[in-house]
Amino acid sequence: MFTTKSFIKKNKVGNYLKHVREHYIRDDIACGLQECESCFPVESFLSPDHENKCALFEFNHYIILDTNVILDQMDILEESILGNVIILHTVLKEVKHRSLPMYKRLYNIIDNPSRHFYVFINDHHKGTYLQQKEAELVNDYNDRCIRAACSWYINHAPKCRFIFLTDDSANRAKALQENIQSLSVSDYITNLNNNSSLTDKLSRKDYHAKDAAKDVFPNHLTNVELLTGIREGRLLQGTFRASRDNFLEGFVSVDSYEDQIIVQGRAGLNRAVDGDTVALELFREDDWVCPSDIVLEDEGVEDENVDDVISKENELKRETKKKRGAKPTGRVVGIIRRKWRQYCGILQGGIDGVYQLFVPADKSIPKIRVETRQAEFLRTQKLIVTIDSWPKHSRYPHGHFVRALGKIGDQSTENEVILLEHDVPHSQFSEEVLACLPKMPWIITDDDVTKRVDLRHLDICSVDPPGCTDIDDALHCRPIDPEKLEVGVHIADVSHFIRPGTPLDREAASRATTVYLVNNRIDMVPELLSSNLCSLRGGEERFAFSCIWEMDHNANILNVRFHKSIIKSRKAMTYEEAQLIIDDKTKQDSVAESLRNLNKLAKIMKQRRLANGALVLASPEVKIQMDSETMEPLDVEVKKLFETNSMIEEFMLQANISVAEKILEVFPDCAMLRRHPVPPSLNFDPLVKAGRHLGFEIKVDSGKNLAKSLDEAIKKDNPYLNTMFRILATRCMLQAVYFASGAFQKEDYYHYGLAVPLYTHFTSPIRRYADIIVHRLLAVICGSDATYPDLLDKKKTTDLCQNLNYRNRMAQYAGRASIAFNTHLFFKGKLQDEEGYVLYVRKNALQILIPRYGLECTLFLARKGETSNIFEYNEEDQTQKAGDVVLHAFDPVVVRLTLDSNNIQHEKFVLQLVKPVVDNFSVPGIDQTDDNDKKRKSPEPDKKKRKKKKH
Amino acid sequence: MSKNRELLSKIGLRLDGRRADELRRIRCKLGVFTEPDGSAYLEQGLTKILAAVYGPHQVRGNRSKAQHDAAVVNCQFSMAVFSTGERKRRPRGDRKSTEISIHLRQALTAAIKTELYPWSQIDVYVEVLHADGGIYPACVNAATLALIDAGIPLKEYVCACTASLANNDVPMLDISHQEEIIGGPTLTVAALPMSGKIVLMEMSQRFHVDHLQKVLEKALQGCRDIKHILDEAVKSHIQDVGSSTGWANTT
Amino acid sequence: MPQKIHIRLAAHRVNASVAVNRRVPKIFTPGQVITEQNEFMRGHGTYEEEGFLKSSVAGVKEQVNNLISIRPLKSRYNGEVGDVVVGRITEVQQKRWKVDTNSRLDSVLLLSSVNLPGGELRRRSAEDEHMMRQYLQEGDLISAEVQSVFSDGSLSLHTRSLKYGKLSQGVLIKVFPSLIKRSKTHFHNLYVGASIILGNNGFIWIYPTVTNSEDGVGGFVQNLEEVVSRPERETIARLRNCILALTQSKMMLFDTSILYAFEESQKYSVPELLVPEAMVDVAILTQDRLSMAENS
Repeated sequence: MFTTKSFIKKNKVGNYLKHVREHYIRDDIACGLQECESCFPVESFLSPDHENKCALFEFNHYIILDTNVILDQMDILEESILGNVIILHTVLKEVKHRSLPMYKRLYNIIDNPSRHFYVFINDHHKGTYLQQKEAELVNDYNDRCIRAACSWYINHAPKCRFIFLTDDSANRAKALQENIQSLSVSDYITNLNNNSSLTDKLSRKDYHAKDAAKDVFPNHLTNVELLTGIREGRLLQGTFRASRDNFLEGFVSVDSYEDQIIVQGRAGLNRAVDGDTVALELFREDDWVCPSDIVLEDEGVEDENVDDVISKENELKRETKKKRGAKPTGRVVGIIRRKWRQYCGILQGGIDGVYQLFVPADKSIPKIRVETRQAEFLRTQKLIVTIDSWPKHSRYPHGHFVRALGKIGDQSTENEVILLEHDVPHSQFSEEVLACLPKMPWIITDDDVTKRVDLRHLDICSVDPPGCTDIDDALHCRPIDPEKLEVGVHIADVSHFIRPGTPLDREAASRATTVYLVNNRIDMVPELLSSNLCSLRGGEERFAFSCIWEMDHNANILNVRFHKSIIKSRKAMTYEEAQLIIDDKTKQDSVAESLRNLNKLAKIMKQRRLANGALVLASPEVKIQMDSETMEPLDVEVKKLFETNSMIEEFMLQANISVAEKILEVFPDCAMLRRHPVPPSLNFDPLVKAGRHLGFEIKVDSGKNLAKSLDEAIKKDNPYLNTMFRILATRCMLQAVYFASGAFQKEDYYHYGLAVPLYTHFTSPIRRYADIIVHRLLAVICGSDATYPDLLDKKKTTDLCQNLNYRNRMAQYAGRASIAFNTHLFFKGKLQDEEGYVLYVRKNALQILIPRYGLECTLFLARKGETSNIFEYNEEDQTQKAGDVVLHAFDPVVVRLTLDSNNIQHEKFVLQLVKPVVDNFSVPGIDQTDDNDKKRKSPEPDKKKRKKKKH
Repeated sequence: MSKNRELLSKIGLRLDGRRADELRRIRCKLGVFTEPDGSAYLEQGLTKILAAVYGPHQVRGNRSKAQHDAAVVNCQFSMAVFSTGERKRRPRGDRKSTEISIHLRQALTAAIKTELYPWSQIDVYVEVLHADGGIYPACVNAATLALIDAGIPLKEYVCACTASLANNDVPMLDISHQEEIIGGPTLTVAALPMSGKIVLMEMSQRFHVDHLQKVLEKALQGCRDIKHILDEAVKSHIQDVGSSTGWANTT
Repeated sequence: MPQKIHIRLAAHRVNASVAVNRRVPKIFTPGQVITEQNEFMRGHGTYEEEGFLKSSVAGVKEQVNNLISIRPLKSRYNGEVGDVVVGRITEVQQKRWKVDTNSRLDSVLLLSSVNLPGGELRRRSAEDEHMMRQYLQEGDLISAEVQSVFSDGSLSLHTRSLKYGKLSQGVLIKVFPSLIKRSKTHFHNLYVGASIILGNNGFIWIYPTVTNSEDGVGGFVQNLEEVVSRPERETIARLRNCILALTQSKMMLFDTSILYAFEESQKYSVPELLVPEAMVDVAILTQDRLSMAENS
């Protein structure tokens, strides 16, 4: 079946180890052509029916690609115009080696039967295998292999024609010598009969290469220089992070340095783009600078003129040189690995011609120069663009257009942008996934009943926010003897429907969480499950996973058990309804009774939890009322909280804790838990400082002390002060994360915020994948399900956790971005005065929090880059002083709120100070001014509402 | 990095071009030395093993080891200093070689008809010339050949093979060194392939129960395949020698 | 003495096989079923399992009436009564010597089975037991004959003939026992000027021919002072190398084959005979002559 020729491959790594590998050469590899009769048939998507229409050739042909084509022109390949493409294994390996994302994208195309791609394993084929010559470079060798495979195809199937596409002119020339028809991609694409949309997508790697052009950037070092430099310690390697506010500043996090290293200016950044792995050279200590506080924006010019940049650089230098507290500073000397991806954004207006400037939505990404013939149209659209190259003579990176998302400002477009920018998988569920769903109508069989505990007789009810369709938890409570209560938490049994290893399971694992946007929900599982079969709706029989405690009246847990069950919820209530039932003393039915019992227990439990040092944190959460017809925001309001909210929360916490203990006991190595690391004390600095100014001592040495000091930080005349403290405290926290129990030491399992040694997520399997895993673990413990390999694999679980954590974070950001967008939409054209509080005091601005809308905005005290001549900044006390008005952190203010829509991508709120009144700066309130609100002067301070207090 | 390496590409080939159920190339030679009673050289892929058998002979040294009803099988495993990429002195009797020696003895004792040789001793010396994964199985296979060359009665061939799981799904036969490092649990099985008896089984990591059966099945298939290859080699060797001696002393 | 050492790559190794195509008997390998009928008796190299008679070694079948055995081509020496062996003393015990004869257990040479100096019928006295080490000590080589086989398979030897006894000056070669052809006599005084003992156990002793028959080998004297002349030593060396050449090509050893080889080797010098090509050449020429002799 196969011939075995073995050969020797030498690999030299580090201290010159000799690796010898086997390499089998086979005679059973098929060419994949349908027309071929000599190779035995093999599954291949190549089809003689597909036609590649290129004006240069009057015959149909197959295409063979070189590696550089795949790496650079992936966007072209993804268009379903080219077909019958043969990918050589040599090429595939090279692509994989050079760029994993490209490899994945390529594989998506290969897997699609309608694209007619075929992988030919040339390096194991006895006809096309070549031995590497002595002293032959890998690249040359690969090129030679590719050409050999082309020739082989030509000889193998004389009836078919083959075209070899490569952008490497040397390789092309050699191919032509060997009688292989070959072309560059741009020649091929421009001559394609239906090329209209493709030319824009051509990657512009070598365009505009004027030799005479002045270099805008210093050279990058060569790879060899970089590697030796890093090895000898002259250079450092790290990840580059661009500053969002200042396009001439960035930071590089290097493993061996605690501080991030500052890089500044054109020469310092030297074409690094956010996320790149760079090599950097550290300056001598005298040349170190401090991070700037100023905001600099790249205005974007048409030509390669860099005068404006130079002036800004000078400004930056002035700004950062003089101060104390300089941080390590360096400059980027080379890029080790680019982390370019696709960027959302718009075209910058006001430029004519085919070269356009693209402004990415992400402010940490530089503007990108693209070539397009449809600029007029694209200017109204949100687009996706990718970077191809950044030559040193070009002020901007060069890129090409990938696709348009839709009209700017449309809600659907914006949602799409939010989802894309946060890497949220949001395509429709595939057929394959939907095939895993149970067939409707779904009925409970006798078999199901015997396997589960029947709890249909219990008075179970659910309490959720209004409009909630994915109800995943329900509760009950009943007295079992005078001393004891039985409390049950029933969680939707999602793992019953989502079996491990199915496409549905893989999809859910990849999505990891349901993403809530203001007017849209991106489900983790298909709607049939999320809103129907798994949703514990009132009056319907549903499968549940129950966690049942026996408690005494002091909420001490006497006993806990877990089992799968069948329940029938009596009623699905909103928090408000439940609250009304509890408060309405006339209601005496069993549901009301159990709610009251639950509420009573919850209060005790909460008390106990807080006494243990659990933190009560706050973040301004708002809800946006949408007009159901126009889908426009009607109002923005802060979420109302009832006692019942905390009642449900309390029992969910308890269920999670109980489950965490159980699964860790049985699976010490692979239990999926959730930890909240203790934040480093440095994080608390702003909080402690702010507290000190107001005369509070915030202790941060332990969670318990922090909770206590937060409780004590109350001022009668400023009721919001405490909340402000809590908001600040929230920002000091680290993210809670999922992890596999085997991956950490026991001490590190601790959940700081909740002050419990063990925690997990069990209660929301409809919208979180972690809960499904926990359900599966628990089901194994209960004996109602079997394990499967990945569940017990510590490494697999750790990998899974990484994805879950990443997706969760992104989902959170996406949710926030959606709220921000809709708030903007709400404020469009409105002008309003609002009460707010100073959150932070900065050098040239105040950070203001407006609780009513959960907004956090910047009130500039001076123009960008200037220092105010009205306000005096005191860095020590963190105050801004103007005359007799001193603004501290947490001080209440009244500000005027308008939306600045000049920059369509980054609409932002512009604040103007109304109160306290500062001469030459503040503006009068709306209610007193009729038409003179443009006037900058406010003649009279409003005394009635003056809340400011001096101490 | 190794996380991204696929042991089995989507096209169904392994890193060295084999399919999942293919063994590496096995080449072997019997009677490579004249001094020992039996000897063999075996290449399994790039793993190269020399095996020599002395005996059965009078128990030397510690006589109390001798058994009245069976021969004592004594195995000694060693690796040449140049057998791995890194040149390293490998003192005899380190933990790894002691372990392999013991495992070898266990596998070989199961096949040798030791009961025929009371008070005797059989020495098996195995030396790895080049280690490229699957050292133990190659040692077992080489030792079997050497025992046969020495004319020591065996119940049947004893063969060993490794198997692992590619991409957590497909059982994969005869793991090379490269595949060993990339990961995945490796199952080593030594068996009497004709009767299907397993004489030794070892796992480098835990397998999930669901997978064990199919991986084990694959490994046993590998043992049977190896037995065929060895059998061919033995027959051609015997034929060769037999023809030289003119089948003398035979009827 | 400087010496050329040849170390070759495996790829350049000489194929020493001199196999001639003849009828090939069926080859059995361990575990292979010989017959499914159970009326046969199982002999050496076979075992019974689940009613089948199976082979336990790799070799060819030998059948005597309904006794089936499989003879491996190579194994330790299985002694039979009357065999001539060459052995080495490994131990001196009370009233007996232990002799390594390349069989799986050491053989025994009883004090009572040797001719002591001073007459065949001398009584063994306690003094003789003390003197045993004087007669034969550890490391000494002897030639002997198998007297009987003990139940555990070990051999009892005797040297009660003048031709047996302690060996003096000469060269020992160890080959596989199966290469020694059984014949009437294993003592050969070759015309070329040396004598040879082809021990059935695969130990071959080459020594200068002794003219003085009275002095013989029998007995326990070792005359190491006697100078063996250079031509004699060369002859012995050549014989040794010829035997090695035949062994390498797995050819049977008996007086004719050795003599043929000796004659064919004349075109090479003695050291040249150690070069693999030369060895194969000698083996092939010998093989040709043997088959010619056989056919004529």
